Amino acid sequence: MNIPNASTAPAAGEYAGDEVSAIVLDPGYTTVRAGFAGEDVPKSVCPSFYGQTASGPYLFGENAIHAPVGGLDIKNYWGSDGIVEDWDTAAKLWEYAITSRLTGARPSDPARNGLNEGNDANGNGEAMDVDMDALEQNEKPLEDNPLLVTEPGWNSAKAREKYIEIAMEDWGTPAFFLQKTGVLAAFAAGKSSGIIIDVGASHTSVTPVLDGMVLRKGVQKSPLAGNFVSDQIRTSFKQSSPEIPLTPHYMIKSKTPVDAGTPAQAVYKTFPDPPTPSFRANEEERVLTEFKESVVEVWPGPGRFTTPTNEELAKSMPGRPFEMPDGWNQVFGMERFRVAEGLFDASAALPSDTFPTPPKPDHTIPRLVQAAVQQVDADQRPLLLSNIVVTGGSTLLYKFNERLNYEINAIYPSTRNKLIAPGSVVERKYAAWIGGSILASLGSFHQLWISRKEYEEHGAGIVEKRCR
Amino acid sequence: MASGRDVRDMLGLPAAGGDAPKAAGAAGTAAQAQQKRPKPAGGSRKIQGVAREVAALYGERPPPVAVYEEKKAYRAKRQSTGPAKKWIQQPFTNPARADGLVLKHWRRKPTTAPPVQESEDAPMEEGDNTETFLESCADYAKYDIKVDMPGFTDEEYDKYLRSDDWSREETDYLFEVVRDYSYRWAVIWDRYGFEPQRQLAPENANGDDQALAAMPFAPSKKRTLEDLKARFYDISAKLMKQRIPEVNMDADQYSTYEMLTKFDPVMERNRKMLATALINRTMDEVKEEEFLLTELQRINMAANRLDAEREELRARLDAPPQNQQVSAGLQAFTSSQALHALFQQLFQQDRSKKRATGGGSVPGRLSLSANDMVHTPGSAQQQLSAANRRQSLAQNQQPAAQTPVRSLSPHQEHRFNVSTHERLTSGVTFGSDRLLKMRQAKSNVQTGKISQMLAALGVADVVPIPTSKVGEVFEQLVAKVSRLLDVRKVREKEEGECKVLLAMKERRNGSGGGEERQAKSEVPDSQETPDIDVDGENEEDEDDVNKNYGDDAEGEADDNDNDNDADNPEDDAEGEEDEGGFNVEDPDDDGDVDAEGEDESSKQQSRATSQGVTTAQGHKRSASVFSQGSAQSSKRARQ
Ligand SMILES: Nc1ncnc2c1ncn2[C@@H]1O[C@H](COP(=O)(O)OP(=O)(O)OP(=O)(O)O)[C@@H](O)[C@H]1O
Ligand SMILES: [Mg+2]
Repeated sequence: MNIPNASTAPAAGEYAGDEVSAIVLDPGYTTVRAGFAGEDVPKSVCPSFYGQTASGPYLFGENAIHAPVGGLDIKNYWGSDGIVEDWDTAAKLWEYAITSRLTGARPSDPARNGLNEGNDANGNGEAMDVDMDALEQNEKPLEDNPLLVTEPGWNSAKAREKYIEIAMEDWGTPAFFLQKTGVLAAFAAGKSSGIIIDVGASHTSVTPVLDGMVLRKGVQKSPLAGNFVSDQIRTSFKQSSPEIPLTPHYMIKSKTPVDAGTPAQAVYKTFPDPPTPSFRANEEERVLTEFKESVVEVWPGPGRFTTPTNEELAKSMPGRPFEMPDGWNQVFGMERFRVAEGLFDASAALPSDTFPTPPKPDHTIPRLVQAAVQQVDADQRPLLLSNIVVTGGSTLLYKFNERLNYEINAIYPSTRNKLIAPGSVVERKYAAWIGGSILASLGSFHQLWISRKEYEEHGAGIVEKRCR
Repeated sequence: MASGRDVRDMLGLPAAGGDAPKAAGAAGTAAQAQQKRPKPAGGSRKIQGVAREVAALYGERPPPVAVYEEKKAYRAKRQSTGPAKKWIQQPFTNPARADGLVLKHWRRKPTTAPPVQESEDAPMEEGDNTETFLESCADYAKYDIKVDMPGFTDEEYDKYLRSDDWSREETDYLFEVVRDYSYRWAVIWDRYGFEPQRQLAPENANGDDQALAAMPFAPSKKRTLEDLKARFYDISAKLMKQRIPEVNMDADQYSTYEMLTKFDPVMERNRKMLATALINRTMDEVKEEEFLLTELQRINMAANRLDAEREELRARLDAPPQNQQVSAGLQAFTSSQALHALFQQLFQQDRSKKRATGGGSVPGRLSLSANDMVHTPGSAQQQLSAANRRQSLAQNQQPAAQTPVRSLSPHQEHRFNVSTHERLTSGVTFGSDRLLKMRQAKSNVQTGKISQMLAALGVADVVPIPTSKVGEVFEQLVAKVSRLLDVRKVREKEEGECKVLLAMKERRNGSGGGEERQAKSEVPDSQETPDIDVDGENEEDEDDVNKNYGDDAEGEADDNDNDNDADNPEDDAEGEEDEGGFNVEDPDDDGDVDAEGEDESSKQQSRATSQGVTTAQGHKRSASVFSQGSAQSSKRARQ
């Protein structure tokens, strides 16, 4: 009846779609993405940072962690190696991400919610107690939904088993699957083979994927990612004279406009019970992300930024203005290139003592790509190089793709290299989740799920065998 | 439905709304509607689908953009057939799964009938869930694909598949990995990590490293992709041969088998090294290659252009300008329609001529007739004169009956003088014309020579009965004559050259030329023999002449050899064996050029003459004539 066009959804049979209300969970260092498979954006995006007060319980969610409460400690469950460290909190946070927006709190059993008191008046409490166990079972949050979780390419075998244990034991999911973010990002870009460059917050990773399978020897990661750029910005602020003040929003009561470069004139809030430094750092990070979004620029090439001619060129380019929450503002010139240059050229990174590991030349993105390609069979290299998928929030840095393109063509001038970078912000940030959403909604995927029965038979080790 | 107004119109009554006599309710309202309707129609231009206020804003002028109402007609009407259908979460199983995992997807709630049936059957088996029936959804089971793998038994392994480099465990592991990753070799190599201790039972794990070191196979050998492939292909080939003996394999199987056996890991490795080198070229190398390629393309293009220009120039120089008028005239008849028109025209002319002659049959024989053209309209045929028609009918019968071609024996063919041709040229030619044409050569001189020679052979200027057979023979004869003439010309030229060269040489080294002079003096000698013959008008036998030429050549060759003898006697035997004395390869011979030239021309001559021998008597004579001619020319050269 309807003539299919770009905006009509294809018939389910056309793409083998058969949705089973699966939930896709894509935990990252900054945010945890969760949503139903088959949808095109994650419904629930929840910060990976959580709050903890000295006495109280864990606080999850955007609202809780940005409220300046005294003694609130902001933490993250990820380890420095890009593998989940604090499993208990991780499980709780993920559960929050899923239940808060997707499944909702389970309706409590009518026998106990107090609405049916009258029926129990004749006092057969015994029968009720017998039912309790069954009810306990029912309270697991994912009884009805198969679950697909994403993992970094370098995840350890122990961590992988932990994922399935949480899903099966704690959440009672009927079926489970674990897939690498690289593969899923490739799927989201419509590719089954390619090199996936994911520049997130804590890690940059380069993953060669062939026919939907990660080539493990080629997986490369480095800590030079969004957090590194943030640290570079902080350093740059500190080094500039006079020092550029970084005041987060929560401290500002009111501000008055000032001229560029002149000290801020703002009224600050006072807290009788001031929040912890970790809270402040997290709030500062929000400002820095804003700064990254609107000011920071990657030197697009040709050549590196630190050559005299390029620096001259950069000086002559018009600057970009930025206003801090307290009203302080300035036009940023050359320095806006400098803070991101470390991603591509380790020697150009500003020396910083706050960033845990000083950048090594091997950690730069071009070198990672080179190392990854080196580990792949020679016959597959041209294929992979013609499908370079770019994903992750930090690839949104202005002119990032131009530079990456230049760098890759400089390393491999003789192959046909093609960058695949979706234009929309959502697709770039949530590529792995979208890929998972596609995968888990396919009818042909039904036979790949690890079922509860299989888990019970073979134990957690089954992930190693099935999710490869 | 006829309204009251219509009725009144028909009856010629005045249109009075009040006094509707009979039509009270329905007809009355209809009449009101009718009265209303003309009003908007009368309003000159009512724009559809626009609010009245908006339309008023347009004023007098029509809107600059056409306004169309969004047509609801294009969208299919929503069919409201009863209440909304219910959807349910239908539990289902996938037959491709062994564990019977039950998942749920949204499906239309089935109409009541099937579940009732289901529940009638179900209670026996399922008992507890009578309400939800379990669907078996096999739509996607087809994606459950298993790869084909060669398998082997323990005996087979022990007998054929043992390898010094591979343990049984590792071979099994290799097969397992290949199955797991469905022959994706790049992935297989990536994931391949065989550890012998993995296979050992855990109780051995606490045993120290010495235990591992003592094992026959070094733990975790680093295998390259080619190693893995080589082992796997080797086993596959051996097993294949075991299952199907080589001789029984069909083409496909054999090509697979060949491919498996021909796998050469070393070559593969080298190929990959080259591929890697190709990928890892530096920017400069790539640029250089690009530059060279564009340069090559440029050169090629320039060469092509030059060629084309030359071709054009040559075409202009060679071809005489076509007669424009003629070609234009012909072009008018290239299309089938034009040809048809032409035919009709000729046909009409022909017919009128025939009418004039009273339909005589004699001129009609050579004229166009209806059956010459395939698609003659019937009407044209009816207009034919009676005689003509009879004739055409007679002719018409033939092609109709002709379909089975009568085959004649070669003897009969000869007798009736039937010949078959690949292609017939149009028009009628006379045999004598053909013979005459054959006598003509390109140049008048040549024509004269040919006729001279034919005359000498005693062939009359006009051959009495030029049958095709005679024509053929005559053609052969003329061909031979012209060939002889050609050869003679070549010979003369060569001789002349020889003389010039000899003279030059003599002038240069007066002393060293002694032997050459001898050779030179022999040349006229050998030539003299036929010379004398002809001079004396002797009827020399052809063979004799031929022999003479042969001798001549040999004699010269011998001379040659004699020259060589002085320098290197070993060559002697060889040289003598050489029949034609064709000693081209003598490296250091003073008279080399000379001898070669002589040899070659003489050999050509002898070949030509020996070819000539085979046929009829006339040819015998031709040889002597030829020698005569050559003698004459040589005389001429000497003067
Ligand atoms: N528009 C933008 N420009 C530059 N950087 C941005 C932009 N938007 C987000 N970022 C940065 O991207 C990072 C978050 O990216 P992403 O969501 O891909 O990370 P993640 O997946 O949570 O982390 P990881 O992959 O390391 O686990 C943050 O460091 C953020 O500052
Ligand atoms: Mg990420």
